[in-house]
Amino acid sequence: MRSEASWGLKLAALGGLLFLHLPILLIFLYAFTTEERSYAFPPPGYTTEWFAVAWNREDIWPPLWLSLKVAAISTVMAMILGTLAAAAMARARFFGRDQVTLLILLPIALPGVITGMSLRSAFGVLDIPFSTWTIVLGHATFCIVIVYNNAIARMRRLSGGILEASADLGANAFQTFRHVLLPNLGSALLAGGMLAFALSFDEVIVTTFTAGQQSTLPIWMLNELVRPRQRPVTNVVAIVVFAATFVPILIAYYLTRGGSETAGMGK
Amino acid sequence: MTAAVEFQNVSRHFGPVKAVDGVDLTIAEGSFFAMLGPSGSGKTTCLRLISGFEKPTGGQIRIFGEDVSNTPPHLRNVNTVFQDYALFPHLNVRDNVAYGLMVKGVGRSQRHAKAEEMLALVKLDGYGDRKPAQLSGGQRQRVALARALVNQPRVLLLDEPLGALDLKLREAMQDELKALQHKLGLTFVFVTHDQHEALSMADSLAVFNEGKIAQIGTPRDIYDRPATRFVADFVGSSNVLPPDLTRALGGPAQWASLRPEATRLAATGPVSGTVTALRYLGSGTRVVIRAGGTEIAALVPAGQPVPTEGATTAIAFDPQALHLMGAI
Amino acid sequence: MTYPAILPAKGLADRLTGTFWRRPGLLLLLLIAPPLLWLGVVYLGSLAALLLQSFYSIDEFSGVVKEEFTLKTYAELFRAQNLDIIIRTVVMATAVTLACAVLAFPIAYYAARYAKGPWKAAFYLGVMLPLWSSYLVKVYAWKLILAKEGILGWAAEGTHTSWIIDGILSVPFLEGSSLSTSPFGTFLVFVYIWLPYMILPMQAALERVPNSMLEASADLGATQSQTFRTVILPLALPGVIAGSIFTFSLTLGDYIIPQIVGDSSRFIGLTVYQLQGTAGNTPLAAAFAVVPILIMLVYLSLAKRAGAFDAL
Repeated sequence: MRSEASWGLKLAALGGLLFLHLPILLIFLYAFTTEERSYAFPPPGYTTEWFAVAWNREDIWPPLWLSLKVAAISTVMAMILGTLAAAAMARARFFGRDQVTLLILLPIALPGVITGMSLRSAFGVLDIPFSTWTIVLGHATFCIVIVYNNAIARMRRLSGGILEASADLGANAFQTFRHVLLPNLGSALLAGGMLAFALSFDEVIVTTFTAGQQSTLPIWMLNELVRPRQRPVTNVVAIVVFAATFVPILIAYYLTRGGSETAGMGK
Repeated sequence: MTAAVEFQNVSRHFGPVKAVDGVDLTIAEGSFFAMLGPSGSGKTTCLRLISGFEKPTGGQIRIFGEDVSNTPPHLRNVNTVFQDYALFPHLNVRDNVAYGLMVKGVGRSQRHAKAEEMLALVKLDGYGDRKPAQLSGGQRQRVALARALVNQPRVLLLDEPLGALDLKLREAMQDELKALQHKLGLTFVFVTHDQHEALSMADSLAVFNEGKIAQIGTPRDIYDRPATRFVADFVGSSNVLPPDLTRALGGPAQWASLRPEATRLAATGPVSGTVTALRYLGSGTRVVIRAGGTEIAALVPAGQPVPTEGATTAIAFDPQALHLMGAI
Repeated sequence: MTYPAILPAKGLADRLTGTFWRRPGLLLLLLIAPPLLWLGVVYLGSLAALLLQSFYSIDEFSGVVKEEFTLKTYAELFRAQNLDIIIRTVVMATAVTLACAVLAFPIAYYAARYAKGPWKAAFYLGVMLPLWSSYLVKVYAWKLILAKEGILGWAAEGTHTSWIIDGILSVPFLEGSSLSTSPFGTFLVFVYIWLPYMILPMQAALERVPNSMLEASADLGATQSQTFRTVILPLALPGVIAGSIFTFSLTLGDYIIPQIVGDSSRFIGLTVYQLQGTAGNTPLAAAFAVVPILIMLVYLSLAKRAGAFDAL
């Protein structure tokens, strides 16, 4: 086995990485263009006025607040439900365990349009009016698995003995949870929460089915993409959305370094 | 005197697997008791039955006379030194040791003082601020010991505590554990698969085989008079003789054991065989003779003539040394 | 002083701990019940509602949903135009999955076998960030790139390679005024968006191939390419399949990308979206949504047989 990669492989790998990242940089560039009607490259001139314009656009703020609210509530619910599920599944062997795993994975294994359409059907059948909570219902459902994955990966890495050791030394179940499980699980849970927040904040596929007339920031963006008004303003918002997802992801990465929690299973 | 631990016909079955099957056992207070057996023989399950991490599917367990069928692990004043130590990775050594006191509600300064005292007992003074990850295997083992002792348990359970240490460290720790047990006067229950460790450390020991106790006794009892063929095979270096060979040697048709030291070579005798291996041991030579289908070892003291490999020789022995035993 | 051998239970916490110990199933039940109820009621309940709706039909004259059991709506799926949509979607998902596998391999292979220390972290982060960061922003970026006046056209003009783009745009089925209105553009964006989902499981599978196994293969006289074909590829396959679950499933259901980039030909996701929205034909939308479920169930059971779930 060669210890050095061939130049072809190196180039292909590096090229692949660049392919993944360069497009995002363009978003930043176009936020400063003076051309607002087309995506002409290179931009004919540069300006920072769009940030002020975006700040003063009143149609941006309500979707932003709604997105933050939905992401915050969904994250909290997903953290509670995902942690409980992971705690139950980490070590226990019981009848139907595989089916439960499948049920937890299903909301991300099946395309989002199905989750969206299903919820939409259920709201229709039950005559539930659209509200913040109908959006949260969908978001929390697909965020559970993210927290679950982070938590269960950490639990598997933890030596099972430390929970027994705690009980052996006289701690009751609640003391064991507070003094042993939580400190060892904390960063993985926080990472899961960060990723859930990032995912919820920019989710659009399920949301369009569960939002009715409400507009989250991604829905606002989608409308701008389909029927553009001031294109650079969309870029400014895109930068905000990108930052709002980028920062939690970085934090999640640093919280779980050395583990494999964030690898493998995606959204 | 009350027994520290008492098993009455205790079983622990996992479905069709009988991990522990009808065990009767009495561990005297203040003794150093070893549970010896190959892996899967039920010795670790027995230990976990005492600590409460397993529940018996049959029978009764008493700790200092009290039935513990309904007592969860955290209310049993019994502590364990785990095989992989199970130190809390997020706590430093001092807080690891003080953990048992913390969950009992002992104040910070008091429990830290007590923890330091325990660390001194296991010769780890000054290590309180380190994290478990910064310690060597031997040091972790001592922390685990200090942590288990801080609660002043009535019984200390040790699950293969020396298994992960290298030979030299293991021998040093054997002496230290023994001394510690003497000093504290505590009941130690020690699980091991290493017969030398069990024989050299324990006051009495139980040999486990397939979920049952094959024999309980002092190390000498078990070494000299193995009750069954399994014990003789597992514990000793004794020759195990099948019934027909025992009879040929003049005994009844039963399984028997015969120590190599008590076995001699002779010119003629009822049983003879071919010398298949020779091993010089300094104090003598170990000669292996193949007679029928059985290999029999004899220890020829230094200075006596030693046969060559392939030679034919007969076997003689002191009749009192022939020890009869059960078949299992 | 010596403590008693058995300590008394103090307070509710001790007693509850005892109860959990005596009945281990109880704790498990308490833990699993809330998430199970949530997923069972919200998710499975909704799926049931979807299934229910798909057996309703729409009155062609009034446009009102008739809440009576019928298979009429499913029969509509087999109309030529609807079959076209399904076939187009499956072909696109297959093409995207294959392209992702090819593109992902060098990255995953390099990251798994050669990248060390900070490079390894950089590669990992370099794949993870695009995977998790805003989906819509990434799609938008490609609209900028593929626009006729955008960076790709500019670069092609500057390097006199516009003929390549024109060539692609003149291929049957890929026609369009620019890449952003060509099905090829749709394909490109799909590949870009889902590529990280292929890389990570692939890398995880490749990292599980022990170096000693490669050495053993070389030791037994295998050439580089033989080792690659007979050892590395088969061992990486579960990772590829795991990744393909994502790329395939995500492409099957996506309705944003074909809406923004492409020739507005319809895919399953887009059809579901339009049918339940503007057209108000919820039953047919529901029936269309059942198609990817069936496809994915078949796909998942095949993947399970290939051992892909261990690589997740």
